[in-house]
Amino acid sequence: MGKIDVSVPDIGDFKDVPVIEVLVKPGDEVKVDQSLVTLESDKATMDVPSPLAGKVAEVVAKVGDKVSMGTLIARVETADAEAPAPAPAAKDEPAAPPPAAKEPEASEPAAGKGPPPAPASPFPAAPAAAGPAKPDFSGVFAGPAVRRLARELDLDLNAIKGTGENGRITREDVKAAIAGAAPAVASGGAGLPSIPPVDFAKFGPVETMPLSRIKRISGPRLHASWVNVPHVTHTDEADVTELEAFRKSLDEDARKDKAKPYRVSLLPLLMRAAVATLKAFPTFNAALSPDNSALILRKYWHIGVAVDTPDGLVVAVIKDVDQKGVLDLARELGELSEKARAGKLSPAEMQGATFTISSLGGIGGTAFTPIVNAPEVAILGVVRSKMAPVWDGKAFHPRLMLPLCLSYDHRVIDGAAAARFMRHLAGLVEDMRRVIL
Amino acid sequence: MPQEIRLPDIGDFKDVPVIEIHVAPGEAVKKEQTLVTLESDKATLDVPAPGDGVIGELHVKVGDKVSQGSLIATYASVDGAVASPPPAAHPSPPPPPPAHVDFEADLVVLGAGPGGYTAAFRAADLGEKVLLVDKNATLGGVCLNVGCIPSKALLHVAKTIDEAAAMAAHGVSFGVPSLDLAAIRGWKDAVVKRLTTGLTGLARQRKVTVVTGEGAFTSANTLRVETAEGPRTVRFAKAIIAAGSEPVAPGFIPSDKRIWDSTAALEMRFTPNRMLVLGGGIIGLEMATVYRALGAEITVIEMMDQLMPGADPDIVAPLAKRLGKFYDKILLKTKVTAVKAEPEGIVVAYEGEGGPKTETFDAMLVSVGRRPNGKMIGAEAAGVTVDERGFIAVDREMRTNVHHIFAIGDIVGQPMLAHKASHEGKVAAEVASGHKSAFDAKAIPSVAYTDPEVAWVGVTETEAKARGIKYGKAVFPWAASGRSLALGRDEGLTKTLWDEETQRLIGCGIVGTDAGDLISEAALAIEMGCEAEDIGLTIHPHPTLSETFAMSAEAFAGTLTDLYMPKKK
Repeated sequence: MGKIDVSVPDIGDFKDVPVIEVLVKPGDEVKVDQSLVTLESDKATMDVPSPLAGKVAEVVAKVGDKVSMGTLIARVETADAEAPAPAPAAKDEPAAPPPAAKEPEASEPAAGKGPPPAPASPFPAAPAAAGPAKPDFSGVFAGPAVRRLARELDLDLNAIKGTGENGRITREDVKAAIAGAAPAVASGGAGLPSIPPVDFAKFGPVETMPLSRIKRISGPRLHASWVNVPHVTHTDEADVTELEAFRKSLDEDARKDKAKPYRVSLLPLLMRAAVATLKAFPTFNAALSPDNSALILRKYWHIGVAVDTPDGLVVAVIKDVDQKGVLDLARELGELSEKARAGKLSPAEMQGATFTISSLGGIGGTAFTPIVNAPEVAILGVVRSKMAPVWDGKAFHPRLMLPLCLSYDHRVIDGAAAARFMRHLAGLVEDMRRVIL
Repeated sequence: MPQEIRLPDIGDFKDVPVIEIHVAPGEAVKKEQTLVTLESDKATLDVPAPGDGVIGELHVKVGDKVSQGSLIATYASVDGAVASPPPAAHPSPPPPPPAHVDFEADLVVLGAGPGGYTAAFRAADLGEKVLLVDKNATLGGVCLNVGCIPSKALLHVAKTIDEAAAMAAHGVSFGVPSLDLAAIRGWKDAVVKRLTTGLTGLARQRKVTVVTGEGAFTSANTLRVETAEGPRTVRFAKAIIAAGSEPVAPGFIPSDKRIWDSTAALEMRFTPNRMLVLGGGIIGLEMATVYRALGAEITVIEMMDQLMPGADPDIVAPLAKRLGKFYDKILLKTKVTAVKAEPEGIVVAYEGEGGPKTETFDAMLVSVGRRPNGKMIGAEAAGVTVDERGFIAVDREMRTNVHHIFAIGDIVGQPMLAHKASHEGKVAAEVASGHKSAFDAKAIPSVAYTDPEVAWVGVTETEAKARGIKYGKAVFPWAASGRSLALGRDEGLTKTLWDEETQRLIGCGIVGTDAGDLISEAALAIEMGCEAEDIGLTIHPHPTLSETFAMSAEAFAGTLTDLYMPKKK
């Protein structure tokens, strides 16, 4: 059998995703599905698993490499290697070098791309003992000062996309790359006033805790959304007294499920009600075109669900909610949340939402302002329902009321539309039978 | 015998993650070579090998958190048993810790030419304790003492003589100049003295210790300097080799007062009637310019098929044409076969396209190239690899194969130019001082201070063709430049080469008055990645010679109005 090439599998729409961790080294025994390397997209981290059991023969990927689907990661020798075939003697170098294995010190830059380096690099063969090779910047479109800055920050400019005119790499691009943010997609605003640093230790003992990886990724995205989208939050409430009774009965059955017990929360019911409402108000299921000149109406209803994980907020996406029953949704939600908390969500399970629901009902609260998950145009926030006296014209009745908070992109949605959307949604929640109409 | 490599004291940090592993089990490592890199919240730090050896097993992987004392790897020392880790073994040549050390330095710089003194000053400014060694008491090396600077002083003399004579045709006659060779020499020496004295002052202000004498390595951490007062030992932590080059002296050429290298030619011993310049490169032609103005009849012999090999032929042609009028002979594709020093003169036999010939000259300048001084500095004692020609290979950080020893300037390769050396000197000083720096220049300009001057930067057309680069080209002839005509000259050219795909400047060649000063704008444009319109749309003052660069860019962009250019496509 010999060596099997392990490449990056289909990881969704991602390209040039950096390798942030290499988990194995040559000689390691690996099991099927054992993670070989960890990649980090702008949305999440994901592991590339070994497709088979065996021994790692070679690790091609290095920390910092940018990989895409099909990029060679490693070679694994199958466990049954000894048995058949004249296994080529131990260290038979593969004839062709792996195409994607990027040599950092590629002395001959691919012809055609970028300005050719002026004099043939004045550097002969790199001397032996000199430490790790420094990348070649001769084909990079950046001025000398920016190249120097990149050297100071140990940044390979070859891997950076310039946002200056014609793709020039600017000082800001370098800083953005170091900050871990996607290179300055940001808005027009000529820089926001920054918050002045404070020496907290002056006032008492402090401890610095690094932000989790998820927070470092989600932070800039939330900020971009907050800064780019004019937010309005509309609040309303729905009487869920009957729905809650219905839910409890469903939940009791679910706990006794013979195949596999599960739970039914309010969320799958809300999802169905939301989808029915979105169908009635298609602009809420739309996205704004990148040039802000058109609405892209989406004819599918994938609902993102914000999941609280130990490392931070993750949004899991449930596809085609309109075609699934409440019980199926409940099961799927349970599985996805578990995966999210274990950090095992695949990129496909985090992409493609058309509308998002963030539920804090299990914890508490009376109202909050969720941030729209741009390019979506609206997000529904749900907090804990509470018993309240409701006047029916003659008397007060104790009713279980659910507060609903809808944040929306005011460029797309007007206040009146939002109010109607919420009334429609509340009406469905109060009488779920209407969902099937 | 296997040993453990544990994390040394890294200051106040604990549980620092490993972010990179640079070695694999079984890999041979040198002392100080980085094994793993840690990243605290403040900085990254490298864990070095305690000596030369082979890595046995790695005990950490990327992501592990380590603290002082954590086991990093096991390794077997090459020398077998190594006593205790900290005072580590010296590399291969068994440590001859000198009994007596005269000087201690963080950084020693060997050679005080433009590369060496720049490196020394930069490192001193970055806080290093620097010691600068040179065999001459005056700093500045070849460039200041017997190269760039004195030759420029003499070329100014030549230019003044020639321009005064040329004005006779335009109604201003100065008559035959009277030349006082001793006074000219004195002026040249004064220029040199002023600069070298300035350097000595700069070294003193920076507290750079200067030791005069031939320096040679005795180990990877010691250097012996043969001073006038006897040998002195310098112990250093890091070194920068900036020992330069010297003129090549072919073995068949005898030693004689009338046979000069560039240094001797600058001494201005006498003005010969007939002078042979062997080698039609930049140095030979500059000295020929000086001696011709002083009255010598010049013959140039060059082995290649053009003067100034390396420059594009179209850029050299206007110079060659003018020299053809002023010189006795320019013999290309010609080889000197014998040289004899006779009482009546230097008898030179040569063979070219016209068959073998013999001629007698009053003096001869040998300018056939320069040779790096890599074999004269005891590099082997330090473990630094020197190739058979005397060059030392370095990487982008200017490091040699020995991690803490750097090399810069002529000794690391072509082009042998002062401005390349000083740039490399800064890079080496910065890296040696712990900063992150690298040689990232895209282009190094070359200048011949002949009349007309010839200058080029970036890709030459010859090179572009050889490398199969898709390039576009534009040429602006100075016959259309009012300023050039007003200077009484019309032979200049400004040629620009452009990347076809990106439309960015990749090369430029200029021949004409002050070409050496004009080329800087092209160098900047290449470094900044300028397009033709960036240059053409920058308003250049009129009338100037610098305009010709913008007009060449406009010629490429198709917007030039000062010439009629048939439409492209």
